Amino acid sequence: MQNAAFQEKFVEDGPQQVSFSATGGEYFRIWIVHVLLTIVTLGIYSAWAKVRSNQYFYSSTRLAGSSFEYHGNAMAILKGRVIAVLLLLGYQILSHISVSMSLLMLALLLGVTPLLLWKSLQFKLYNTSYRGIRFGFDGNASEAYTHFLLLPLLTITVVLTPFAHQRLKRWQHRRSRFGTSSFRFEAPVGKFYLVYAIMVGVALAAIVGLGLLAFAAQTSAQNLVWFALLFYVVMAALSPLFFTMIQNVIWNHTGLREHEFRCDMKWGGLLWIYFTNMLGIIVTLGLFTPFAKVRAMKYRLESMSMIVNGSLDGFVAAEQEQIGATGEGVADFADFDLSL
Amino acid sequence: MLAGRYYDGRTSRAHRVQLTVQDGTALLEGEAERAVPLDALRVSERSRHAARKVTFPDGATFEPDDQHAFNSLLEQTGHQDSSVVRAHGSWRSVFGSLAAIVVVLALAYFFLLPLLADRVAQALPASAERQLGQGVLEFLDRRALAPSALPLQRQQRIAAAFAGLHAPHDGAPPYRLLFRKSRIGPNAFALPSGDIVLTDELVQLLPDDGAVMGVLAHELGHLHRRHMTRRLIQGSAVAAAGTLLFGDVNAVLSGLPALALDLHYSREAETEADDYAAEMLEDNGLSLSSLEAVFKVLGQLDKSSVAYLSSHPLSEDRAARIRARRGD
Repeated sequence: MQNAAFQEKFVEDGPQQVSFSATGGEYFRIWIVHVLLTIVTLGIYSAWAKVRSNQYFYSSTRLAGSSFEYHGNAMAILKGRVIAVLLLLGYQILSHISVSMSLLMLALLLGVTPLLLWKSLQFKLYNTSYRGIRFGFDGNASEAYTHFLLLPLLTITVVLTPFAHQRLKRWQHRRSRFGTSSFRFEAPVGKFYLVYAIMVGVALAAIVGLGLLAFAAQTSAQNLVWFALLFYVVMAALSPLFFTMIQNVIWNHTGLREHEFRCDMKWGGLLWIYFTNMLGIIVTLGLFTPFAKVRAMKYRLESMSMIVNGSLDGFVAAEQEQIGATGEGVADFADFDLSL
Repeated sequence: MLAGRYYDGRTSRAHRVQLTVQDGTALLEGEAERAVPLDALRVSERSRHAARKVTFPDGATFEPDDQHAFNSLLEQTGHQDSSVVRAHGSWRSVFGSLAAIVVVLALAYFFLLPLLADRVAQALPASAERQLGQGVLEFLDRRALAPSALPLQRQQRIAAAFAGLHAPHDGAPPYRLLFRKSRIGPNAFALPSGDIVLTDELVQLLPDDGAVMGVLAHELGHLHRRHMTRRLIQGSAVAAAGTLLFGDVNAVLSGLPALALDLHYSREAETEADDYAAEMLEDNGLSLSSLEAVFKVLGQLDKSSVAYLSSHPLSEDRAARIRARRGD
């Protein structure tokens, strides 16, 4: 028995699919207790709830036989959230008092947002580990301003949006590291332009198609409401299309040392999950929320795999200090999705 | 004996090891050798589907191959889960939590929040409330309102009649009565700034100046009871709670219940202002029938669905409430 265990050879070489073993039922039980404690403590417990949920999700995520681990400190997250609340409250109050004050406050918020987002990325990655090695995020303040403030400004030109998106992702992935090894990102700008072009094409086709349909059906004013609704549903269906295409491009061009990543997300699969989740949440008055969250996470995570070239044994831990959680607190509140 | 992988925290190498526990000490043997007292180790929380790990003081980790065997080993060594983790595991505490959430939320929504908002609104100086409504009138004047076409004499008569009435309670706020021609149908409303706007269209719809007094008393009620501030506080609290609970799924979805819940507060405020108006008319020796006439007119408007949404109670109910009051 002992020998068998010792002789076992890890066969990591080759494609390794990510597996996610969390279930909606188990997360529901965790979630409902967290909601109660969060309400009773007037929100204070939310920091501990976040840590517990993340620990559950991370330890349920396995790659090549090992699971991930979340190390976030609840007290640090609570401090971050308190600061975030004070910032947003201050903005709310000042914006009611006078226009100039609110503009000043808005400029101030916009000014610190890149820094906070950068800190949030650092916090997230530093507090994630795999095989006992922590992830990390480098970069500096001026890079943060370039990528979170200047690049978004480029989107005003519209035609430069795919370029800005590619540069943002390139920075985000190349500055991320596992231990001392930085990730590679080699997606060409052209692929981003292709995704955006397809989106514009599909959206235009949908608009023209619906318009012709409305015209052919001799739509009366009352039916127009239904067409507007149909239009909304069609447009909502396009967001998972964009998400799948862009995620596939991003991850299929990301690597770590000699290893590569693959992402094989399907529009139909994600669309089905989006719509059934929304329906479930409405019908159950929100009780389906934890199930919905697990379903969406499972689909996204299990679409990912790593093409391992040889073995995953050779990564080395980096020396690093703990990151403050203010950025994480603000990012939580502002609901930034940094994965896109 | 428990087989698993050991990571030393310095490299990602997976060491094949066996874990045994002897006399309160955890022993690792195999590709790595260690002996650490149990109370220096941290075990991640119990769950059915997630991997449980052992973390050493220096950040090294042990991940067992067989979670069930690991759980029974933990039981043998007397490991205790925290109370929160045990609550996750039992269906009884899950349903208990669900029931408690419903009760707490309902209590907060129907009693605690209105009470709290009322206290805060009363404590807030009137000048602060005025700040809230700054610019609203200018905006409306530009977009939805035009100068009144009502004869000046009629305007003065209404203003003088209302100024002659006294409020049913002390501390009535100063107000300014404004006449406007409306582009959005018959309406009357009070702004936090203390302005009561009365549209020509509504004056023309109402049978007499007595009914106009009823409408104005209702609007003064909104001002006196600080309804705008209260709804602002209540609305923000409900929206914040909605975002906290359901925000991570869909921003639009989490906003909808807040909107629906706000309508309840809105109808409550209308009823309160109706009562205030009735009290004011009674106090001044005026007949409540004129207030009833107002709701009759509004009831006809409901049918043609102009300007009044379900943010107000049904006009028939409002009239019935006044009739019941007269019967008292």
